Amino acid sequence: MPKQIAIYGKGGIGKSSTASNVAAACADEGYRVTIIGCDPKSDSSITLLQGRRIPTIMDLMREGIDIKEEDIVFKGYKGVKCLEIGGPEPGIGCAGRGIIVAISLLKKISRAIEDTDLVIYDVPGDIVCGGFVAPVKKGLVNEAYVLTSGEYMPLYAANNICKGLSRLEMTLNGVICNSRGALNEEKIVSEFAKEVGSQLLAFIPKDVLVQTCERDGYSVIEKAPDSQIAAVYRKLAKSIMGKREGKIPVPLDDSRLRELTRI
Amino acid sequence: MPVKKEKEPLIMHPRPSSIVAALYTLRDLDTDVVILHGPPGCSFKHARLLEEDGMRVVTTSLDETGFVFGGHDALVEVLEKVIERFNPRRIGIVGTCASMIIGEELHEAVTQVQPDVPVIEVDVHAGYRDNTKGVVMALESALASGIISEAEFERQKALLKEATLVEKRHGAASKEYLEPNRGDLKYKVAERLLELIKQGKKGLNILNAKKETAFMFADINLAVAQVAQKLGYGSNIVNMVNLDDNVGLPKNRRNAREIKDDLKEKGFEIHHIIGGLDEYPVAGNTADKIIGEKYSDYDFAVISGVPHALPMNNIKNMELFSVTNGPRQVIPLKEMGHTHVVVEIDLHPKTLGVSHIVESEFGATLREMVKDA
Ligand SMILES: Nc1ncnc2c1ncn2[C@@H]1O[C@H](COP(=O)(O)OP(=O)(O)OP(=O)(O)O)[C@@H](O)[C@H]1O
Ligand code: SF4
Ligand SMILES: [Mg+2]
Repeated sequence: MPKQIAIYGKGGIGKSSTASNVAAACADEGYRVTIIGCDPKSDSSITLLQGRRIPTIMDLMREGIDIKEEDIVFKGYKGVKCLEIGGPEPGIGCAGRGIIVAISLLKKISRAIEDTDLVIYDVPGDIVCGGFVAPVKKGLVNEAYVLTSGEYMPLYAANNICKGLSRLEMTLNGVICNSRGALNEEKIVSEFAKEVGSQLLAFIPKDVLVQTCERDGYSVIEKAPDSQIAAVYRKLAKSIMGKREGKIPVPLDDSRLRELTRI
Repeated sequence: MPVKKEKEPLIMHPRPSSIVAALYTLRDLDTDVVILHGPPGCSFKHARLLEEDGMRVVTTSLDETGFVFGGHDALVEVLEKVIERFNPRRIGIVGTCASMIIGEELHEAVTQVQPDVPVIEVDVHAGYRDNTKGVVMALESALASGIISEAEFERQKALLKEATLVEKRHGAASKEYLEPNRGDLKYKVAERLLELIKQGKKGLNILNAKKETAFMFADINLAVAQVAQKLGYGSNIVNMVNLDDNVGLPKNRRNAREIKDDLKEKGFEIHHIIGGLDEYPVAGNTADKIIGEKYSDYDFAVISGVPHALPMNNIKNMELFSVTNGPRQVIPLKEMGHTHVVVEIDLHPKTLGVSHIVESEFGATLREMVKDA
């Protein structure tokens, strides 16, 4: 059984960049990796595909295509299998139902989520409805990670995610800090991780390289393999691929959370 | 290259629902109580009817709040209450559009409550083109919980595929819009049928009915045999029925036996068994073969139940009398070449919760017309 992970965190905090860089780093190590974008804006795999956009499962469904594996799985950097679920246009229909339909389809037709070593589900920042937890509820995710900075709002979101995970009786397997340059950031996030019953796996510095590579359609692993930040992603990838027990997180109460961000 | 599915043509008239199909399938599987996870009014009419057959149907009654906040707690509560109140030996949980769209996991409630009896969960909604999808989903779930065998599952699946095709060819799914029609006047049709019998014409008397509807359709075949007998032409009539009681789910076998016993008691002679009560999509082919071999020179045929599942090959030169319960089936049958089409309105509800043949209007008309003969 492959390692099946999902990365959660506040909208815009860096989940997709982290997911694609971790995917690329794992592929460098020789792992077979699959990345599944569960965001209607379908931006999870662009940097693994040199900026190319692939047809999404929902695009094909709308066109009435008899969907087969080869129509939706695209090989990106070093053979990483990329899939995008996609969704309706903003403000129309029901994106959550789209995810549910796509996940049941995937379970039926795709070996990409079985014949592989790592599957990463890249979910949108806001788990707005039941549909967006379909990968977890349908048993396709066995490890969850939370990405946050040391600022109050991202931590608040991270804490809410811990609430959701504990409600779903899902384990938290690690916290990742994506730095936004807040004061004492590493210490704050590390403390947060400990208090919810987990640990800080990596501190990713804020580095403009992430954005410039992204603009050209690449991960830093591919475009700037010798950079310092590439080394950080590699280390994180190793840590994710290593064996570690997860624990059902215990969310903090709000006053403790506020206190924490003041240290 | 991605291959486009052939776009299925639009069908505008309302058709049977997959949710309801799942409910009936659970009944055939001898489920005691089914929980509909959804709005209180969903599938109301059929839920009520199924109680006549001894299966309880309850609802989690999701309302606006349930749609927004999810219905997990409601499902847990209803499941617990069902166990306590009805002490069922087998429970079904059936989804609806509302609960499926918001991503309810039926299994979560089962995991939480941990009933000690089997629970068949069906993640169905009403948005499938063919209602047979609801049957397949219920059977898949029954297979997963070890209630039916792999062989029975495959058999049912093949039959359902045929049933879907039958509807596409000449049934409810054959046209963009089908006008409902009350069919020909029963009195007139009966008059013509009696005329043929009196002329000493040879006739086929075929029952090809879907499951419990046979309780009433069989009455038509019975009446035809009885009036022919009374008029002294009983030996001109050949009876074929889909009442094999060695195939199908327990309820279907039971019903076939009950109808057969009733027919026998009333002196009805079965010349050919053309299949079981769930074999109506294919039993017509068996009948067709027998007719081709033995009766292709017959003058007329009475076909009750699902007449449009009988191939026209060997009967096209006969005068056809068909009896259906679908007002939308009249026009397709006429187009196939059935001369007389009679509709037994509201037949299905009258065949729930019964174990004996139920009198039909057409049967009663025939009997009345030869009363003084
Ligand atoms: N460590 C970093 N240093 C600099 N920029 C970063 C870093 N991580 C992410 N970014 C930038 O932040 C922006 C948002 O990142 P990304 O799209 O990955 O966030 P997200 O969490 O996936 O957002 P959403 O919730 O909308 O899906 C991107 O432009 C990305 O390049
Ligand atoms: S729309 Fe679906 S859920 Fe609502 S009543 Fe109709 S069948 Fe039931
Ligand atoms: Mg993203």
